[in-house]
Amino acid sequence: MKTAIKDQFLVSPFLVFFLVHGMQYGVGPLSFQRDIANYVGHDAWIPILISGIIVHLLIWMMYMMLNKDKGDLMTIHQRTFGKWLGNLLSLLIILYVLAESVTVLRSYIEIVQVWMFPLLKTWPFALVLLFSVYYVVSGGFRTVTGVCFLAVVLPAYLILTFFVPIQFSDFRNLLPVFDHSLFDIAKSIKGAVLAFSGFEYGLFYYPFIKQPESSQKWAHLGNLFTTCLYLLIMIVTLGFFDQGYLQKVIWPTLMMWKIIKLPFVERFEIIGVTSWAVVMLPIICLMFWSASRGIKEMFKLKQRNVLAVLLFLCLIVSCILIDRETIEQYNTIVGEIGFWILFAYIPFLFICYHIRFKMRKKI
Amino acid sequence: MWFRKQPAEQQENNLVALINMYKKSGDFVHFHHPQSPLPYWVAYFGTLIDVEILHRDILPYLNKSAFTTLEEIKAALPFEDVLITSDLQQIQDQLLLGSVLIQLDVNDRACILVRAEMKKAREVTIPEEEYSVVGPKEAFVESITTNLNLVRKRLPISELTVKEFTIGTLSKTKVAVLFIEGITNEDNVNTVCQRLNDLQFNQILDSSIIAQLIADNGHSLFPQLIDTERSDRVAGVLAEGSVVILVDGSSHALIGPISVMGLFNAFEDYYVNWQMSSAFRLIRVFAVSFSILVTPIYVAVLTYHYQLIPKDLMVTLVSSRRNIPLPPILEAIILELTIELLREAGARLPSKVGQTIGIVGGIVIGTAAVDAGLTSNVLLIIVALAALASFTTPVYRMGNTIRLLRFPFLLLADLWGLLGIAVAFIFLMIHLLRLTSLGRPYLEPIYPPRFKDLKDSFIRVPFSLQSTRPVFLQTKDPQRFSKQKASEVKDIDE
Repeated sequence: MKTAIKDQFLVSPFLVFFLVHGMQYGVGPLSFQRDIANYVGHDAWIPILISGIIVHLLIWMMYMMLNKDKGDLMTIHQRTFGKWLGNLLSLLIILYVLAESVTVLRSYIEIVQVWMFPLLKTWPFALVLLFSVYYVVSGGFRTVTGVCFLAVVLPAYLILTFFVPIQFSDFRNLLPVFDHSLFDIAKSIKGAVLAFSGFEYGLFYYPFIKQPESSQKWAHLGNLFTTCLYLLIMIVTLGFFDQGYLQKVIWPTLMMWKIIKLPFVERFEIIGVTSWAVVMLPIICLMFWSASRGIKEMFKLKQRNVLAVLLFLCLIVSCILIDRETIEQYNTIVGEIGFWILFAYIPFLFICYHIRFKMRKKI
Repeated sequence: MWFRKQPAEQQENNLVALINMYKKSGDFVHFHHPQSPLPYWVAYFGTLIDVEILHRDILPYLNKSAFTTLEEIKAALPFEDVLITSDLQQIQDQLLLGSVLIQLDVNDRACILVRAEMKKAREVTIPEEEYSVVGPKEAFVESITTNLNLVRKRLPISELTVKEFTIGTLSKTKVAVLFIEGITNEDNVNTVCQRLNDLQFNQILDSSIIAQLIADNGHSLFPQLIDTERSDRVAGVLAEGSVVILVDGSSHALIGPISVMGLFNAFEDYYVNWQMSSAFRLIRVFAVSFSILVTPIYVAVLTYHYQLIPKDLMVTLVSSRRNIPLPPILEAIILELTIELLREAGARLPSKVGQTIGIVGGIVIGTAAVDAGLTSNVLLIIVALAALASFTTPVYRMGNTIRLLRFPFLLLADLWGLLGIAVAFIFLMIHLLRLTSLGRPYLEPIYPPRFKDLKDSFIRVPFSLQSTRPVFLQTKDPQRFSKQKASEVKDIDE
């Protein structure tokens, strides 16, 4: 089953840092504060820390499976559950990946519609973005990684903007620490983990990495960087906003950008939203790359054709989601599924895979 | 095959027929010399050979003594490449390249061919396109022998290898591939040779035609091989491990593989100290981004995002635009087109008239356009600066690319404001990511990120720190010189 990938298509292990971080850092950081603060208020930075640690654990599980298997999600599934059930499970995961890509695309377009162009139609902009996705993915995994890399490096200046609201913040807002019950914190983790989702695509691109075993530390570093960045954003948000007000703001990060004033620029959030087009592009690209790659492997189809069909489906679904309520509903459902896939399914697969491995050794 | 074997007489007749055919051309000379000790026949293209050589170095020797065989003549002539042949194809080729044909009898099958071609080339002059104040001022000319001589003079080593090709069914252009054995990666050389061998084209008039034909992506706006007229640049990149293509009849050499940063490097950068060259390079990178982005940003901001601009700046902008009846995009396109017209007119006109056009265009049209209320002062400044900035690129072709890139950015800026600029930028980024030069990634050292190669990209670190050759050339010998010796630090007063 294992298909060797030619050397010229592989990428260096340290680029996994950018693949992991770039995938996690998407539309989430613009809006994740409210979902967490709903439950734990000013302790919202604790769930982020905990989620970061949990995700480290999940990355470790993922690499334990991958290092043993030397394949990807499809081969792991097939080896654990047999060909038919395995392929069915892979297909379900791919469906989830597609659903998630619609979430990212639609959420970003919604932000654009709310903050920049209220009259912007969804379909022309989605069409152009998806066309660029096709252009990237048809260039192969190296191009996808390149977009990931540039999407982390080029908008890196935005990290500096998170420091600007500090002068208007009051960090006594964060006191007293540990003011909420463990139960509340556990509930809020659900919201936090979704902001960390994106590391799981390692299950798809693992065979495309040179000396893939050595990339594990880079995956962990990428996650660590994301955790630190989220902590920074969260702490600044908590210091900047009043608790009651934070409950009502959908995009707190964008609100914080409003405070930035330069001699030649006001209303920095417009520049932020524009830059975010580059930030969220690689996420959609890698999602479509993974989905089309998985289908290609399972059904032996041409990836180019699969990709075109998937993009078309995505375009149609994102155009169906018209108003705020439907988008919110859709996002909640996909988020729910995503949470269970990340938190229950990956550990479950990990255990199944190892039991299966042990059994096979005995025989 | 035996039944198709041509009789000997027919072949003989063919040579006669060939000469008779050539006699149709007015410049073909064919004469008999019966007075000399041995009667002989001479044939050549009068316009291809150097008559001086014929009169000084060939005819006197023929007239001196009586020869009976062609070998005797060959021994007597003071040339190293005298050919005795009866191969019709060879005779034909050699005559057209400027050989003199000598026969003892007009019906003989065999003949002697002596190369006496006219070597006329322009004098080596100073570079026009890549002029630099410091450094050598020696530019290539249209003769490949002169150009090879200029390169070899700077690299007197036996490892410098020249592979020759003849390309073009009509032009039969000599093309030479240069590389240094033991340094240059063979894959790069093979890629170039392979592509040159596969070329199907009738006429190679200049190296730029070769550059277009062997480019990785023929539809890209970006030059995938750098062309240069400086012999020092060629010698420099050869020593780094690049492959160079020289084309006969072209005063530009092609360098490959290149990365996008190579387009921001003037070779002059190596002749000034590293702080200065680093600063200049950063200025060029800034100039290019400025040139592409500034007009689209103006259009985007004034069409959609006027909230972006602080109040005080807004007053300046509004007051300059108060009487303009046109939307920003039309205003911008009119001015951009004016600049393009000026540039194109300047390029077509002889240089002295060109200057006048520059003054007329720049001052008269510019001021008049503002006075007439067609464009705003601010935009005039912006467009002029952007045009100026596009001329800072050291590689001439790159400047054209930048000026053309501005238009899709402008149109998208008018469509979706800043977001349109972001979309255009995304497409540009993807295009650069996918582009290769001779199979090597074009965006290197940015992606794939190779921190070692940053030493000679946006900045240029001092030579003592440049002990290795660029990684992206994948050279066989990555070490340029011993770093330890170069960086030995002497103690105080020692």
